[in-house]
Amino acid sequence: MDKKTLEHIAKLSRISLTQQELEKFTPQMETILDSAKLLQSVNTQGINPMKRHIPFSDLREDIPKVSLTQEDVLKNAKYKEKGFVKVFGKIFGSPEES
Amino acid sequence: MENSKYDVIIGLEIHIQSNTQSKMFCACPTHYFEKEPNTQVCPVCLGLPGALPIPNKRAIELCILLGIATNCDIDKEIHFDRKHYFYPDLPKGYQISQYKRPICSDGHIDIKDIDGNKYEIGIERIHQEEDVAKSTHHSEGNTEYALIDYNKSGVPLIEIVSKPNIRSAYQAKEYANKIRQIVRYLNISDADMEKGQMRCEPNISIQEKGKWELKDGKILPIGDYKLNPKSEVKNIGSISAVEKAIEYEVERMISELESGKTLIQQTRGWDANKGKTIFQRSKETADDYRYMPEPDIFVIEIGSEDIERISKELVELPEEKKNRYIRDYSLSEYDSSVLTADRDISKYFEKLLLTLSSSFDSQKAAKMASNWITGAVFSISNDLKIDINDINIPIEPLSSLIQHFDKEGITRNKAESLLRESIESKTDLNQLLERALKEKETNSQNIDTIIEEVIKENEKAVSDFKSGKQATIGYLVGQVMQKTKGSADPNKARLLLIEKLNG
Repeated sequence: MDKKTLEHIAKLSRISLTQQELEKFTPQMETILDSAKLLQSVNTQGINPMKRHIPFSDLREDIPKVSLTQEDVLKNAKYKEKGFVKVFGKIFGSPEES
Repeated sequence: MENSKYDVIIGLEIHIQSNTQSKMFCACPTHYFEKEPNTQVCPVCLGLPGALPIPNKRAIELCILLGIATNCDIDKEIHFDRKHYFYPDLPKGYQISQYKRPICSDGHIDIKDIDGNKYEIGIERIHQEEDVAKSTHHSEGNTEYALIDYNKSGVPLIEIVSKPNIRSAYQAKEYANKIRQIVRYLNISDADMEKGQMRCEPNISIQEKGKWELKDGKILPIGDYKLNPKSEVKNIGSISAVEKAIEYEVERMISELESGKTLIQQTRGWDANKGKTIFQRSKETADDYRYMPEPDIFVIEIGSEDIERISKELVELPEEKKNRYIRDYSLSEYDSSVLTADRDISKYFEKLLLTLSSSFDSQKAAKMASNWITGAVFSISNDLKIDINDINIPIEPLSSLIQHFDKEGITRNKAESLLRESIESKTDLNQLLERALKEKETNSQNIDTIIEEVIKENEKAVSDFKSGKQATIGYLVGQVMQKTKGSADPNKARLLLIEKLNG
């Protein structure tokens, strides 16, 4: 993990990091990745992923059900207008980010 | 668009909204058109913490059905993946899609090329995913904002990726048309492009002739040739715009290259009003979606009995139907394609044919049904803006009308106007027909009297005819037709008139 990779990941996650933060987080991320790497040392050749399988017939039938009310849906929205969620900027930002 | 120096290479991505009743991974209703915003939303499609997606059986069946209809291989297991990106239309922060293992792969369909020959378009993959929310963009002074409606979020979406073996704008349009026809025939989707139920996104590049090759579904350079980058066009709102947008884009790329510029990989938007594509963003950095297996959904096993059950929904597709009409009924290729272009119309045709077959041999019945549908029925449905079906234009009375017309009981014009009248005034066609036949009978008894009247009332025209102006006869026949309200046989009226005038 170098600074450039971290910068790229931050950008994809729409997080802005200062130079100081980049310096600070790069080695921390490095440590996290190193611990995860431990898993890669196990030999998994010829072993299928242990994910549960279900038959096709177990899927949900196509029957619609009543959903949340508009009021409930908008409860967690910071800004709203005429029943819509209102957003500024690239994600769920505030007016100053517009 | 034929260019001596460059080959055109197109791949088409098509998204189709399946017409299920509930969403892809939750039970919220799907039909969001003209609904109040954010009223068909639940914790799953809102991406709230802890909500778990449960796949819709019907949606996956429809995806498999499309795969079978387009000659694809169907996987025995279904795996979902997460495709990450951050945007307000995607509240989870990822879209559930399929990456390494699409449900259907390596298919093909045939289209008719511009020269009339068959051309096979390859299908790379068909996979299942979910739609995102609808956002509209607004500004107020210097403040820009978007309004989001999550009703569309989570509606089942099928993505069909063609192989890059589409070589002209015409082929791309025909291919899109064919896909739309198939999904409509199989009731997979209404595929209305204006409503966004079908979206086409072509990838276009031009390469110097003889300097590239298609290998394992990929375009590769030959020798040290450097491939030109491609552009992707979005915001295409109709099938005809698929063709126009590609034509425009090819012209643009050729003129850029010829004026010595270098092309860049980019996304462009089609502007239907201006008839051009407009630069949206460059794609210097490849998309980085950080795909990973969706841990919340089990691997779904598809058995051969599932495929068998789904295959039963496969109906005769337009191409096969068209060929059968040509072969069995000797209909023209043109009429056959018109009658099979829409499933409802072909159903209507086959029903009308069936009722007429009790009185005529099947070829004659087919010819009559075809003439009436492509003539009167089309024009009435067009003028009155009604769909063609047994309810709007009832088949049984239409069939007896056609039979009377054939026996020369009534003229074609009269028959057509009766049909139109019955639909406009919502009156039973059989009643109108009965009345017309009665009128005709009275008129034919009275025709001598009417002809005498017409001769008496039109002295000028009569003397013109007698002094050699043959054309006046048409006017006099017209007068007779008017008095009989169109129920007289104009040929018979003409003969009787001439007889009387010469006598």
